[in-house]
This record gives sequence, C-alpha cells and structure tokens, in this order.
Amino acid sequence: MDLIIGGAYQGKSEYVMRTYGLRPDGIFSCGEEGLPDWDAPCVRHLERFALWCIRRGKQPEREILAYRNRWKNSVLVCDDISCGVVPMDAEDRAWREGTGRMLAALSREANTVTRLFCGLPQRLK
Amino acid sequence: MTVFLSGGAKNGKSMLAQRLSKALAGGGRLYYAATMIPHDGEDDARIARHRREREGWGFETVECGRDVMAAFSHLPRGTVLFDSVTALMANEMFHGPEIDTEAPLRVREELNALADWAENAVFVSDFIYSDAGHYDPWTEQYRRALAEADRELCRRCDAVAELCAGNIIVHKGVLPE
Repeated sequence: MDLIIGGAYQGKSEYVMRTYGLRPDGIFSCGEEGLPDWDAPCVRHLERFALWCIRRGKQPEREILAYRNRWKNSVLVCDDISCGVVPMDAEDRAWREGTGRMLAALSREANTVTRLFCGLPQRLK
Repeated sequence: MTVFLSGGAKNGKSMLAQRLSKALAGGGRLYYAATMIPHDGEDDARIARHRREREGWGFETVECGRDVMAAFSHLPRGTVLFDSVTALMANEMFHGPEIDTEAPLRVREELNALADWAENAVFVSDFIYSDAGHYDPWTEQYRRALAEADRELCRRCDAVAELCAGNIIVHKGVLPE
C-alpha cells in the first residue's frame, strides 16, 4: 500500500493519476454515508471514512485495519486535518484524533508515504 | 529567479522573503508589493510595524491590494517581494457584496504576468489547508482558489520552500544565497 497525505486541495489526486496511471473512475471517493469500495485501485478522502466511523461509535484505525487484505496493494489518500485549533465540537475532536491515529497506523503499514505540498511530492517513508 | 514560500503563521516567511529578494536584487531595483487593504486601527498598526521592519532594506513599496499589473507595468523592471498571495486572493474575491467568481482565474493570470514582468520575484502565501474545520461555501471556495494559485506558482517557480517554526523545508530547486 502507498499512502498519500497532505492538506486540502494540494494536488493529491492529480499526483495519484499521474504516478499510478489511474483515471478518475479508478479512484473511489469516500463519503460520509457508507463504507468505501475497498477493491478500487485507489481510495481517497479517508478522512470522511474516519468521520463515518466516529458517527457510529467505531474507531477509524481499528475499522480500516480490519479490511487490510482488501487495500494492501492499493493507493490510499487522506487529507491531513491535524494542524488547526482544537475544535470546539466533541465530534470534530474525536474525528480529528481518530483520523490522526488512523494515519499513523496506515503509515506503519505503508510501503511508501508521500506528502503533497502545493502540488509537490515529499517522500516521508 | 522566482521563489515561492508558504507555511503556517509566524514561521518566518516574511523575514526570509525579505532576505531572499534583497539578495536576488543584487543592488538593483527592489519592490515590496503591499497587498493589505487596511480596514481598522489594528490593520494600520500591522502595516506600520511591517514598514518599520523593512526600513533600511531598500524596498520601494508598491500598493497593490488589487489589480497587480496596473500598479507595476509602468515601473522600471526589478525584483519584487509579493507578500501575500493570501491577501490578494481575499481582496479580489471579496471586494463586493457577492463573491467574485472570476477572481481566482484573474489572480492566477495577474501573478503569472508579474512573474513574467519581474527580473526576480519572491511570492509569499499561507498554508491554511491542514485543519479540521467545516467551512461555509465562500470560505471553502476561497481555500480552493488560494490552493490552486499556490500550485500554479509552484509549477513555475524555480524554488519552493515551506517554513516551519523558522526552519526551511525546500520542496523544489535551491534557494538563493
């Protein structure tokens, strides 16, 4: 698995399409309404999957690791939402922390971790 | 040479940008593109502080809260410190009662034109993309527009660096000495 992270609008999807030769239909975008298609070559917006978990009282880290066999050869993409002020709302705090723990776990699992900064890739692992 | 700097607030972007642009000018003309349009006493104080910090550096201040090239095109060419893309985008998108939906493209064109015009340019922006906020649609449009302007500048700039607690992370090229 290759993990791609970065702030919002930093060019992560563009980088994935360029690097892995994927078209938009090869990239599944998580929503807040259900489980992702873990068999897609690339799953993005995992921060929304994390929010889906939090709203159902589940831990994003534990949930995603349960599907490890499905994404172990995939590209996973997630917004980094960790750097702002601690949110006032309890659900947002749980979401932010749950996303952080999920990304730390995915980083351990990943073959490579790449961060996008203004469209430029930075290899972290 | 063109340089792009970004990062969080109070990480040393402006001071580094001043140093780099002065070095790039090499004694030639050196412009400070002032993008802030003051709205209250706090803004006036901030502008006065920035002016004091620039004293003795040899900058000519060019006011360009909007319409960048209108302010520069009649001047002799030189090195430009543009601080900041963030303020320009806000000024251009939110100058009227409604959001100006043509502003994002116009800002990218203006900044490209400035980079073409300048002998050297250092652009400063702000990294506002890694928090857990839920924003209203206007703010979200602004974040996207600023990110797209940042990315376009990063494609064309010779060097790109991120500032983090005063430390420099170079993402592209080599910063000037």
